[in-house]
Amino acid sequence: MAFQILLNFFLAFIWMFLSNDYSTLAFFKGYFFGGLIIFALRRFFAHRFYLLNVIAVIKLFFIFCSELVKANIAVLKVILSPKLTMRPGIFALETELEKDWEITILANLITLTPGTLVLEVSEDNKILYIHAMDIDDVEQARLDIKNSFEKAIKEVSR
Amino acid sequence: MKTNDLIFQTVTKTAVFIIIIYSLHLFFSGHYTPGGGFIGGLMTASAIVLLLLAFDIKTVVNSLNIDYIKMTATGLLIALLTGVGSFFFDVPFLTHTFSYVDLPVLGKTSLATAVLFDLGVYLVVIGVTMTIIQTIGETE
Repeated sequence: MAFQILLNFFLAFIWMFLSNDYSTLAFFKGYFFGGLIIFALRRFFAHRFYLLNVIAVIKLFFIFCSELVKANIAVLKVILSPKLTMRPGIFALETELEKDWEITILANLITLTPGTLVLEVSEDNKILYIHAMDIDDVEQARLDIKNSFEKAIKEVSR
Repeated sequence: MKTNDLIFQTVTKTAVFIIIIYSLHLFFSGHYTPGGGFIGGLMTASAIVLLLLAFDIKTVVNSLNIDYIKMTATGLLIALLTGVGSFFFDVPFLTHTFSYVDLPVLGKTSLATAVLFDLGVYLVVIGVTMTIIQTIGETE
């Protein structure tokens, strides 16, 4: 992915040199045409066309924003409710992600979801220990959300 | 008990670069806007302290092999020499001048000799802060 972006920059600069125009507009023109060429020749690269990864990153960012809003509304509900009916607890979640940054992003997303908080990553980076604000009804729904997060993060690093 | 610092280390690896670039920005903006050598040096030192917190001392010394005492000496020497430089122009000690120079790429830039003095301050602050922290950290 990084190689493709670098190649696209390189093609944009070649376009600027050929057209003898060193403005920002010329750079973007060259970048657009370079992107078209890379898309046409995408079969020759080891990874898929890089714009798909860029779109995946943007999707992840929107998930992040929506979860942030949801989490704060959920906590507000708990604070303002007259009765305390929650049962806190800690559960383990096995993750399939391997790279450091993937696990870091997953942990931060889980911490930002309503009612969950990452406490610890196990020594072999396979299990996340999560504290849930309300353990009975959360468990199943949480696992679903984790799957959606893991999927989104895997899309980025594919 | 040994804990897994994976999340902390990953965030540190990205945050350190942002802190250092911000400290350099503070250092260069000192002439017209708030900032300068002292706060820039403290900010750079804080980035190295963050590295020391996330990784152990050995790793940081292996990757950033700087003799901080020599760094302090260099900074003092630079500050002193900018003061001594005023003698060559027959003006009092530590007089600084500035002028506008047309540089090929940057265009009209004001170059002040106070920046050199500030560089000395910057190096002294980093050197002293890191010397204090490392000597306290290494004593058992």
